[in-house]
Amino acid sequence: MTTLNRQAEIARAIQAAPLLSPIANKLLQVTARSDHEMKEVIDLVKCDSLLTARILRVVNSAVMGLVHPIGSVDHAVSYLGERMVVGIAVAECTSEFFGKPLEGYEGESGQLWRHELFTAIASRAVARHARAPLPADLAFTAGLLHDIGKAILSEFLRGTSRELVADIVRGDTADYLAGEQERVGLDHAEVGFELAHHWKLPDTLTQVIRHHHHPETAAPGLRPLVYAVHLGDILAMMGGHGTGSDSMKYHLHQGYAEHFTISKDDLALLLLECSDEFRKVEASLASLKET
Amino acid sequence: MSQMVLGIGDYGASKQPDTEIKTYALGSCIAVVLLDPQTRTVGMIHIALPESKINPAKAKEKPGYFADTGLPLLLQEMVRHGCQPKGKGLIIKLAGGAAIMDYNDTFNIGKRNLLAIKKILWSYGLGPRSEDVGGTFSRTVSVSVKTGEVILSSPGRPNWKI
Repeated sequence: MTTLNRQAEIARAIQAAPLLSPIANKLLQVTARSDHEMKEVIDLVKCDSLLTARILRVVNSAVMGLVHPIGSVDHAVSYLGERMVVGIAVAECTSEFFGKPLEGYEGESGQLWRHELFTAIASRAVARHARAPLPADLAFTAGLLHDIGKAILSEFLRGTSRELVADIVRGDTADYLAGEQERVGLDHAEVGFELAHHWKLPDTLTQVIRHHHHPETAAPGLRPLVYAVHLGDILAMMGGHGTGSDSMKYHLHQGYAEHFTISKDDLALLLLECSDEFRKVEASLASLKET
Repeated sequence: MSQMVLGIGDYGASKQPDTEIKTYALGSCIAVVLLDPQTRTVGMIHIALPESKINPAKAKEKPGYFADTGLPLLLQEMVRHGCQPKGKGLIIKLAGGAAIMDYNDTFNIGKRNLLAIKKILWSYGLGPRSEDVGGTFSRTVSVSVKTGEVILSSPGRPNWKI
């Protein structure tokens, strides 16, 4: 198959991808606005009985360790925080999409979701080290969606990972992103960008998805957020939560230092804190699957 | 065949021949494998960070997370299985410690882990016989207690032994 034919096939796969649920989409729209209030999030949740039930299940799950159960949506959303509410809404409608094995990357079932979740937690944690204030919950959401392109591209990369890895080791290919380009004419950041358009995600999120491996190419105003996700992604891979054959085969862009102050000890603590939070969040979201 | 799976900061040892000790997806973390040919005991630890001083509370809760608090405990565990953790009796193998491409000093936790581990091993008069560390790929490590073979795997590569 020629590269052009592959690109057309990928475009068709993006159009055929399952859409986000209306409630997840509205939550993403609202929380991407810098002037939104928690009440707007609570009001949206109240309009969706299924999401309300899921949020109450998570907040009252054993892993949260509450002494007294929470029965009100207001209290549950305030307790969990905006990022968890968005996480639950996105997890609910993307479990099949994110949960499937990434065969093109030799990634196992659920590995993409775990990578997205770790990156989300790490991006939020990195945002706290920004030189200028950065909306940490937005960094979480952007991290949660940054690699959506892999869910589409994986199928088109099937059978390529060994050769691609060997090319990178020999120095014939710059990194995994370049390897994807060489094989199918598109990389997962571009495919994710197109899928984000198809999903009608807010522009801020689509730009993070597009530039997360090359933050220096993002619009200047967005760069701190894109760098937060760039570093969150790297922390996920360092912590053993990559998506398969591509893990660690991307470049660290040193321009992050312009926007963040992170020492060696800070980075070690970030890895530690994010690993702990990841275990807790993963366990609390697992309560959604319990009957 | 029973499997002992070690998560981040876990350590363990076994002399049951039908046991496989395994740890998954080492990024910048390092697995230290101890093999004692005398007692046919195998031990392993999955270390995430070099020094416990950055978070003493975590070191108390999960000492295996750090090289300085975890390695002495793994050696104690080997002693509990009848090993003599001194001199040349133990065979030691290391795997992991990967780094992202174009890393800087801040992001090279893998190398800091490796240096800390070696320093602690030296303080016991021990050193690694073989190591597969660094590079830009994650590693899964498994060891058969029966054969003592240390097998590494990584997506996109055939398995290999160290």
